[in-house]
Amino acid sequence: MRKYLEVAKTHMKAQLAWRCDVIFNMIFTVAKILFAYLLWGIIFKDKSDVSGFTFHGMLSYYIVSSFLSQLEMSDGISAEISARIRNGTFSNYMVLPVNIERYFMAMEAGVAAFYFAFDLAAALAWIFIFRIQFVFVQSAFVFFCALLMILLGMLFMVQLNYFLGILTLKYQEIGTFLMIKNNLIALVTGTIIPLALFPEAFVKGMRLLPFYYVTYLPSMLLTGRCGQEALPGLIVLLLWCLALQTVVANTWKKYRIKYDGVGI
Amino acid sequence: MWPCFFDHGSIMSERQIPMVIFMRRPANGSLLLTQHAGRAASGGRKNFPARLLAEQKGKSMNVIETEHLVKTYKRFKKKEGIRGSIQGLFHREYEEKNAVNSVSLQIGEGEFLGLIGPNGAGKTTLIKMLTGIIAPTSGRIEVLGFYPNDLRNEFKMQYAVVMGQKSQLFFELTANDTLRMFKEIYGIPEEEYQRRKKYFTELFQVEELMNMQVRTLSLGERMKMELIAALLHNPRILFLDEPTIGLDAVAARQIRGFLKEVNQERGTTILLTSHYMEDIKMLCGRSVVISHGNKIYDGNTEELFEKYQRNKVITATFEYDLGHVFEGGPGTALFCRDVTVLENTPYKKVWLVAKENANCVLQEIMGKGPADICVEEEEIGIIVERIYREGEAYA
Repeated sequence: MRKYLEVAKTHMKAQLAWRCDVIFNMIFTVAKILFAYLLWGIIFKDKSDVSGFTFHGMLSYYIVSSFLSQLEMSDGISAEISARIRNGTFSNYMVLPVNIERYFMAMEAGVAAFYFAFDLAAALAWIFIFRIQFVFVQSAFVFFCALLMILLGMLFMVQLNYFLGILTLKYQEIGTFLMIKNNLIALVTGTIIPLALFPEAFVKGMRLLPFYYVTYLPSMLLTGRCGQEALPGLIVLLLWCLALQTVVANTWKKYRIKYDGVGI
Repeated sequence: MWPCFFDHGSIMSERQIPMVIFMRRPANGSLLLTQHAGRAASGGRKNFPARLLAEQKGKSMNVIETEHLVKTYKRFKKKEGIRGSIQGLFHREYEEKNAVNSVSLQIGEGEFLGLIGPNGAGKTTLIKMLTGIIAPTSGRIEVLGFYPNDLRNEFKMQYAVVMGQKSQLFFELTANDTLRMFKEIYGIPEEEYQRRKKYFTELFQVEELMNMQVRTLSLGERMKMELIAALLHNPRILFLDEPTIGLDAVAARQIRGFLKEVNQERGTTILLTSHYMEDIKMLCGRSVVISHGNKIYDGNTEELFEKYQRNKVITATFEYDLGHVFEGGPGTALFCRDVTVLENTPYKKVWLVAKENANCVLQEIMGKGPADICVEEEEIGIIVERIYREGEAYA
């Protein structure tokens, strides 16, 4: 366990190496909140309620969901694995006495810890400056479910991106898989078409997919909404994590012998 | 209780599970030895009691064994042009290439072996199979008693690999940061880590560079850091693929000195591939030449160079104008001695002479009273070219 902790720490240190990156990341977080504050301020100018959200409730949701979205940065894992398999440098991980998947999990944890610290500081500062009356969940049970869901969600995304990355061993090019994943996430989280426009049965079906529970539901739970979905959501996500882990292990076992480490 | 590996012999069970000796120190202070199959902790051989080490030293052991090892790559043959690209969507032709062809090899513990061959000969493919990065197509392979491609951590704890063109270091961080991560990955105790780090940084004289961002280091300095990172866990085998590539003469010489010391003082088995024959000649007692995937020579390095060293270069300077005496043409001295004139000025002559004729030629030159005379071996590049060329014919 200590070795993975050190891997996480090393990757966190790597994030801290560039001062400009750190500063601009904080500015970006702050700018997003400022933009949301101005935008929702205009929308709520003549209304006190939009789709059941108050102005402060909406800002709270926005701050939490954008904070979680910024934490979830596992996209880079599939891209990095794919690139390294193709250029031969994936062997750097293969020769280390580590479980490669856990190495990437630790790497993600290190990067997320960096963003967690700085983005949280920036978000708290703005909550204080704009005097946002932060709407927060009251139930301790739902709160812990949400925290667990965030962790499981991040774990799932690392697993998924790791899985997609190692598919390069077989398919050489995984751009199509990544595109399918990104579109699926956008669809399930309502980025492409608002979920309200879909038939109820379809929306229910999508809730069987894990993406709904990665950032959307935890954000809703932390801002005191959808409490009844906390436990079922946790179970669905846990089952997905377990299933995907089996798929990852089998895929790695089957495809790693196809690696030819070209270019080294 | 502290686990550690034997230096030589009796590590592996029949099922290739490393046997770890656990030593319990009971109240009376004597050592009880019990064998367990299981995971090796690092800490490495430095913790190993000298008595046991000495006992084991007597027994020689092959740390690497391969038998008729073959690696075949399947390559897609794409036809030229748009039409060929579209055809490739529906029907693909593949060709098979034997990168390594029936290579049998035994390397004993503590050996320093050079792997020589032109580009595409199969050297790196062989190293990739030995380190478990790729699986062989057929044949037997055993490294430290393991089948490498199982990629077991117990196996990976015992070797290190440095590839000249691939870095294990974090460029944004300092070498110290990477070493700290490696310390944890290999489970090196803090005290041991500090001791080894001090040893290696002093050996390489890089103490003042340890807190510099790796990206700001020169290529030579970076390679030293790569080697320190690789040797930190005291591996039993060190695989080096072109470690001196791109380095200047001074840095390359330092690296060579360092590797020599590691091999001699720490008993680390080193397998080195390099296109720089100075590396091979100065370091490797034994060389294996590979050409087109076939092993064409396996033996003493000096004998290899001796075998392909066909000529000597003789340079003589004179205090008077010799005229045409030594030009090698009909009627002149040295003619019929298989001599090639490389340089011909009134006061200085340089000849390429067949090795077996060198003595006679020297005697003839001495008869003319030279001011100075120098006999050199052929340029190493020419010898290498000959090895490869004749190897290709053989292959």
